[in-house]
Amino acid sequence: MESLYVLIPLSALLVLAILGVFGWAVHKGQFEDIEAEGQRILTDEAPAVDADQDP
Amino acid sequence: MMPPAQPLAQPSPAAEGVAVLDDPLEQGRFTRWVAGPGGERWAESSLQLAGLHCAACSGIIEQALGRVAGVHMARVSAAAERATVCWDPDLTRPSALIAAVRRAGYDAVPDAAAPARALRLQLQRQALWRLFVAGFCAMQVMMFATPSYVAAAGELSDEMRRLLNWGAWMLTLPVMAFSATPYFAGAWRALRTRTIGMDVPVALGIAITFIASTGATFEPDGIFGHEVYFDSLTMFVTFLLGARWLELRSRQHAAETLERALARLPETAWRVAADGGVSAVSVQRLHVGDQVRVPLGQAFPADGVLEQGDTQADESLLTGESAPVPKRMGDSVVAGSSNVGAPVLVRVLRVGGDTRLETIVSMMRSALTQRPAAARVADRWAAPFLWAVLLLAAGAAAVWSVIDPSRAVWVAVSVLIVTCPCALSLAAPATLVAAARGLARRGVLLQRLDAIEVLATAQHIFLDKTGTLTEDRLQCSAVLLTPGAVAQGYTEASVQALAASLASWSTHPASRAVADLQPGQTDSGDWQQVHEVPGQGLGAQDAEGRAWRLGQAHWAGAQAPLPDDAQAPLRADAQAPLRAGAQAPLPADAQAPLPADARLVLSCDGRLLAGFVLEEVLRPGAEQAVQALQRDGVTLRLVTGDTAERARQLADRVGIVNVLAAATPEAKLAALIELQRQGHKVVMVGDGVNDAPVLARADASLAMGQGALVSRCHADAVITSSRLLDLVSARRTAQRALDIVRQNFIWAGTYNAVCIPLALVGWLPPWAAGLGMALSSLLVVANALRAGR
Repeated sequence: MESLYVLIPLSALLVLAILGVFGWAVHKGQFEDIEAEGQRILTDEAPAVDADQDP
Repeated sequence: MMPPAQPLAQPSPAAEGVAVLDDPLEQGRFTRWVAGPGGERWAESSLQLAGLHCAACSGIIEQALGRVAGVHMARVSAAAERATVCWDPDLTRPSALIAAVRRAGYDAVPDAAAPARALRLQLQRQALWRLFVAGFCAMQVMMFATPSYVAAAGELSDEMRRLLNWGAWMLTLPVMAFSATPYFAGAWRALRTRTIGMDVPVALGIAITFIASTGATFEPDGIFGHEVYFDSLTMFVTFLLGARWLELRSRQHAAETLERALARLPETAWRVAADGGVSAVSVQRLHVGDQVRVPLGQAFPADGVLEQGDTQADESLLTGESAPVPKRMGDSVVAGSSNVGAPVLVRVLRVGGDTRLETIVSMMRSALTQRPAAARVADRWAAPFLWAVLLLAAGAAAVWSVIDPSRAVWVAVSVLIVTCPCALSLAAPATLVAAARGLARRGVLLQRLDAIEVLATAQHIFLDKTGTLTEDRLQCSAVLLTPGAVAQGYTEASVQALAASLASWSTHPASRAVADLQPGQTDSGDWQQVHEVPGQGLGAQDAEGRAWRLGQAHWAGAQAPLPDDAQAPLRADAQAPLRAGAQAPLPADAQAPLPADARLVLSCDGRLLAGFVLEEVLRPGAEQAVQALQRDGVTLRLVTGDTAERARQLADRVGIVNVLAAATPEAKLAALIELQRQGHKVVMVGDGVNDAPVLARADASLAMGQGALVSRCHADAVITSSRLLDLVSARRTAQRALDIVRQNFIWAGTYNAVCIPLALVGWLPPWAAGLGMALSSLLVVANALRAGR
C-alpha cells in the first residue's frame, strides 16, 4: 500500500500533463474540422505518410 | 492610400463589378495590413470561396493564386471554403486575385467577417478547453472518491483517506481556478450591477462546496467535518460547461450561416461622368448630384430622381407593395428598390444615411433597444431561490448553535450543498439548446435562445404578406378567350403557347407569369421587332407581319382603329364578361374589378384575343399553416404595405380575418406597440426591410430565409426553408421544450423539498447528498435532450 503514496501524486501530475497536451492540441486547431479527417481517405490526393510508415 | 499600381490588364466588362474591390474603401472590409519579412507593407485578404467540391480543390486554388505576380502566400481551407491571401500592394490588386480564382473554375467574394470569425474561433477553443479540463479532472476525482464509497467501515485507514482526499483536492484546483471562472466572473458582474442572475447561486454553491471540502481535507476534525464533495463538484461544473459549450456551438452555427449569406460583392453603381463615360464605383463613393446608370434588374444605389427613361420599380422589400410601381421621368426612386422595367439614368439626391432604406434601418436599431426585456426563465428564479437557501442555512445554523454548537457550521454547509442549484441552472439552458438544435435540423435557425419561450406562449402573430405569405412572383390563374378569338379558331392551348413564347422575351414579373404557362419552353418563337414599353407591355411582329401586343388592356387592346367585331369584347373587357375558355371557368372573384396590373391581354393587329388573370402565388403550405395556428388559438394578423383590396383578397384566400393594409413601417410598429401595451406578447414573421423595425421590436421575430439581409440579421430566428409550415412545427417544438423545462423545475423542486428538511435536521448522509446532486444533474440533462427530437 505504501506505493500509493508515490502513485497518487504521480497520477495527479500525469493528469496535469495530459491537460497541457490537450490544451496545446485545442489551440493548434486539431478539433476544428473533425468531419473532414474521416473523409480524407476518399480523396484522390495521396495522404501524407510518415517516413517510417512507408512500405 | 494604395500606392499607384502598375498598369494592369483592362478589366473585361464582366469583371467591372470586381474592379470596385480595388477601391481602398471597399478593400478595408476584407483586408488587413501586415508587415512582410523585410518590413515592407503587405496586405492580407480573406476571401469566401464557392464551387469547391473536394479537398483537392484547395490545392488547385492555392496554385492559381500563387501564380498571380505579387502574391506571397495563399492558404485555402476546403472545409471552411475560405482563402487567406498575402499579397504585395505594389504588384497586384484584389480584383486580380478574384480573377485568378475564377479562371481556375471557382468563384470568390470578399470575406468581411474574418475578424468576427477569428474571435469566435478563440471563444470556441477556450470553451472546449475549459470543458475538457473539467471533464478529465472530474473522471480522475471520481476514481479517487470511489474507495470511500465502496470501502466497508474501518477498511480504509485515515492516512489513506487523507491521501485520496488530497489527490482529489489537487485535481479540483484546475477546475476551480480555470474551468469555473466564467461563473465567478458572471456572478461578480451580476453583483456589481446589483442584479441576481443564475450565476450567483451557482458560483456561491461551487465556492461553498469547495471551501467546505478543502477544510475537511486538511482538518478532518474541524468545523466542516471530514466529508469531501470534490466528485460532485467537478461533475457539476462539467455538466454546466457542457451545456454552455453546446449553446455556444449552436449560436455560432447560426452566425456562420448568416455570414455565408452576407458575403457578396460590394454594391456597385455605374456612374456617368461629365464626358459620358461610364465607370463602376462603390456605392459608398456616390455623391449627391451624381448621375448613375441603373441597368435592368439591379437595385437603385441611392435615392434619386429619374432623369432619362421610364421604368417600373419593385419596392416590395421596402413598402410591402407587391406590384411594381411605374416610374416616369422626373419621378423619385428609392434606394434598395429594384429596377424591373428598363435601363434608366438617375440623378442622385440622397446617399448613405439619408436614404429611405437607411432611415428604416436606423428606426429598426432604435426599436431593437426598446424591446421589452424577456427575462430568462432561470434568472427569474435565481433571486428567490438564493434568498430562500441563504435564509434556510442561516436559520439552521442559528437553531443548531443552540442545540449543538459544534454541528452548526456543518449543518449550514450541508444545506447549501444539497440545494446546489444544479437542476435549476441546467434545466433551462440545456433544454433550450437541445430544442434549438432540433429546430436547426428542421430549417429554423435560432439566433436568440430566449425566443423559444415567447414563441411557445405568444397568442398573437403578425404576418407580413408579400414574401412571407406569398412568394414574390405572380401566377397566371386563368386564361379567358374572347368570342372573336374562338371564332378565328384559337384554342386556349394555342393562345397560351403564343403568349408564353412572346412573354419569354421579357423579365417583367407579369411576363414571367405568362411565360410559365408553358414551362420549359426554350423556343422563343418566330418574333421580330420585339420591343418592351415600360409599364405597358410587349409588342412584336410575327412571321406574317401581324402586330401582336401583350400587356395592359388599354395599351394592348386599343392601339389601332379596331375592326368592328372587336368592339364588343373590348368594351366588355372592363366588366369582364369575357367568355371563359372551356377549361378555365371564370373564378368567382373575377366579377369584381381586378386591379389593373393584375391582368394582361393579348391582341393581334388590335383585335383582342385573350385575357390573363394574374394573382400572387401563395407559399406552399401557407393555408395549412394559417389554419393550424388558428386551431391552436393564435390570433393572426396580416400586416402589409400593400393596398387594402389586394390584402383583403389574399386574407380571404388563406382565412385571416384581421388585416392591417397600406401600412407604413411606422404604422406597423404602432400597431405592435399598441398590442404590447395591452400586455400581449407578439411574434412577427416577415421578410422585407419594411418589416425590420417591427421584427426588432416584437417579443420574438422570425424572418424568411429569402428576405432582406437587414431583417434576417436582426430577427431572433430565420426560417431558412421559407416554408410557413416550419413556423407551426417550430412553435410545437418550442412548446414541448417549455414543458420539459417545467418538468425539470418540478424535479428540482421535489428534490430540494425532500433533501433540505433532511439536511436541516442533520440526517442526510454526505454520500447521499453527493449522489443526489449528481443523479439530479444527470436526470435533468437526459430529460433536456428529449427537446431536440
